[in-house]
Amino acid sequence: MRKFLSYIIIIFVFGLSSCEEVIQVDLEEAEPKLVIEASILWMKGTDGNFQNIKLSKTTPFYEDELAAVNNASVKIMSQEGEIFDFEHQENGVFINTNFDPVLNETYTLEILYEDEVYTASEVLLPVVPIDYVEQTQSGGFAGDEYEIKAYYTDPVAEENYYLFKFFNEDVSLEFYEDEFTNGNQIFGYYSDEDIEIGDNIEIEIQGISKSYYEYLFILRSQVGTNEGGPFETMPATVKGNIINRSNPDNYPFGYFRLSEVDSATYTVE
Amino acid sequence: MILLDEATIYNSSHLFGLFSVFNPDAIKDLKLYKGGIPAEYGGRVSSVLDIYQRDGNSKEFKMQGGIGAISSRLLAEGPIVKDKGSFLVGARSSYAHLFLKLTDNENSAYFYDLNTKLSYSLNDRNKLLLSGYFGRDVFNISQNFENTYGNAVFNLRWNHIFSDNIFTNLSVIYSDYYYGLNLNFVGFNWDSGIKNLNIKYDFNHYINDRLQLKYGIQNTYYEFNPGEIEPIDEDSGINYFKLINKYALENAFYISSEHKLSEKLSAEYGLRLSNFFRLGQDEVNTYENDNPVEYDADRDIYREADILESSESSRSEVLKTFTNLEPRLALAYAFNDEQSVKLSYNRMVQYLHLISNTSSPTPLDVWAPSGKYIDPQILDQYAVGYFQNFKDAEYSLEIESFYKQIDNRIDYIDGANLIANNAIERVVLSGESRAYGLEVLLRKNSGRLTGWLGYTLSRSEQRTPGRNPSEPGINNGDWYNTNYDKTHDLSITSSYDLSEKWQLNANFIFQTGLATTYPNAQYEYEGITIPVYGERNGERLPSYHRLDLSATFNPSKGKNKKIESYWNFGIYNVYNRQNAYSISFRENSNTGENEAVRLSLFGIIPSITYNFKF
Repeated sequence: MRKFLSYIIIIFVFGLSSCEEVIQVDLEEAEPKLVIEASILWMKGTDGNFQNIKLSKTTPFYEDELAAVNNASVKIMSQEGEIFDFEHQENGVFINTNFDPVLNETYTLEILYEDEVYTASEVLLPVVPIDYVEQTQSGGFAGDEYEIKAYYTDPVAEENYYLFKFFNEDVSLEFYEDEFTNGNQIFGYYSDEDIEIGDNIEIEIQGISKSYYEYLFILRSQVGTNEGGPFETMPATVKGNIINRSNPDNYPFGYFRLSEVDSATYTVE
Repeated sequence: MILLDEATIYNSSHLFGLFSVFNPDAIKDLKLYKGGIPAEYGGRVSSVLDIYQRDGNSKEFKMQGGIGAISSRLLAEGPIVKDKGSFLVGARSSYAHLFLKLTDNENSAYFYDLNTKLSYSLNDRNKLLLSGYFGRDVFNISQNFENTYGNAVFNLRWNHIFSDNIFTNLSVIYSDYYYGLNLNFVGFNWDSGIKNLNIKYDFNHYINDRLQLKYGIQNTYYEFNPGEIEPIDEDSGINYFKLINKYALENAFYISSEHKLSEKLSAEYGLRLSNFFRLGQDEVNTYENDNPVEYDADRDIYREADILESSESSRSEVLKTFTNLEPRLALAYAFNDEQSVKLSYNRMVQYLHLISNTSSPTPLDVWAPSGKYIDPQILDQYAVGYFQNFKDAEYSLEIESFYKQIDNRIDYIDGANLIANNAIERVVLSGESRAYGLEVLLRKNSGRLTGWLGYTLSRSEQRTPGRNPSEPGINNGDWYNTNYDKTHDLSITSSYDLSEKWQLNANFIFQTGLATTYPNAQYEYEGITIPVYGERNGERLPSYHRLDLSATFNPSKGKNKKIESYWNFGIYNVYNRQNAYSISFRENSNTGENEAVRLSLFGIIPSITYNFKF
């Protein structure tokens, strides 16, 4: 359902474009806030030792440059008390090379930045493998775009949420819940007008939590919002799961999550 | 609230405000109540525009109409049975392809409407009236997207005179508001709407010269269809999907009196007793602690609570009942023929909530009836006014001031999904709103130059505090502007008789831009640029203003011709102001830079119409 709504928004904007004009609007500039992209990913069949966390600050809306944060102390603690320190590499990327991932274990992120402590706790969630990938050719507007379907088998016992990433020229994110597909073999779906024969498409399936699923949902609704369609979404502040313990009002953006990942490569025929 | 022959009309204009929803040729009279609203009106916390269609000519057949470059209209009326029964049929339509700046695309926007009225006098004491209205707006994009919306209403009335001083009117009214989308390219239709059936019986009782009573009973049954998706054909790949219908019954008894207390003092006072019954539906949700919205204190966010259980209840079951007493009072004191003052208070209750993404040109309005989790809106409104005529009523001045307070005004939480949501209660919180302002209206009623100048200075705000001290509410519980707040609202309308044949008209409108929310920062996450929005409705669109000019040429004026005709030449938005319907923010897909985009609908529109009457 929601997927179709996003189509509508796109079309609507397209249709109204004749009455649209890019204009100069002066905007307020908010105090910069910390942005934390802490996605710990454990690819099946690897040891998962190498992990990175990206820190940046919010910038004025029209600013082109990213404001990387380099001077922070970043670490993750396991529930057994193991500590994994992340060292700054460059451009706000902090890395750790001896991370020890354990499925279903709880990890805590702790960041010290400008005398304020930011924390979040999450569980490393497992994921089922990609069973196989197939292509069809009936997607898009005219029904002739390539569609890539990556099949997986949803476990029947629990509520599951999935994030799919399709890497072609750009990255496409798709996320799913199993409310209507519990226990079934179903697929992650990707269709784009730029898909051509011979393209190598990297596909990832990641296990995510319900609250991360909800977060991504709101996050995506805020991209290209206010476009004037009948299903327009309202501007909203999208808060993640990381809390500023020292000064809660100065909340950060971003999310801390840990996911098992399976991947596949598919060549379009 | 807009009533046409007593039936509720849910959208008030055609073509995004370019045309009035009503055909002026078919209208008998129009009353606007802003303050001191009589007890016979209810169900809304807003002003009331009460419009009646006129009866057809019962003596001879007449036609009138206009043929124009933008729209045309035709109205025919005449007797069915001479002096006893008459009909009136009026139709209007605009032409497609004219309104959006259409260069090479196939978009179009147009409307049409139909007014009908049949009246028949059974005898001196009994008269039957059947009136109907049907209107649609159609908005079409490249054959792939079609948006249609509008009202259909029917009203059968029986006017009966019991005695010289008791007049009654019994009405059966059916009203249907439709909002539909047709998406060829995805292969589905979306239908939604509200249907209601309304039976009312009103008495007008003249006690004596000084006292007139009005009393009656009104009964409305509602059926809400929040949305239904149907695949266009078998290949569509979209499954049938239906949001559950909602049902309700609203009753009211009222008594109202117009009382001349003395030569100078008159009063209008009344009482309305309203009841609302939310009826059973297919899915009734229960939540932990009866709380459909959950607050996550750690993350400081509101989110939809889990549904514990969803049960089916019968349509005849009453899920929730509300009863409210609504007192109304208006006092008018005339110092003399020239000067008077007016004071009023009214309480009104609205059992339906409207949540709308208003910055969209064709918003998909979400109507939510009150029920177990959402209480009705209650308005207390105070107004005081001063009126004066000058120079033998050539000029008149009205100054009014008002204060309104509305309880249980709902607003959506951050990240709310309002569309295709089966349980709106999970994404809204209840708050309050208030509005206050000063209105000045100066009219020139006679002479070659006539017209008026109206100015309103006002403020309309709302707030949604947390439900307990540990919750922040929406916008930190602070007051913020409502979607329709306009600080300044100025309008000037003038008409000048140049000669016997030529009349010139000018309109000017200036309004503060509507409140909106702009981003004040951005960041990147997972390779996506995310805007950070500031305070809710903390910014404003640019001011709205435009000038319209027109001239009427009446070559046959004064001559006793069988066909009366005149020409109308007009220019809408003379200086081609690109008024912003909305301003959106996006990342330019070519440059990767963020930009602001203004959506404006109507620039300058010249028009010419030939009007006739015979």
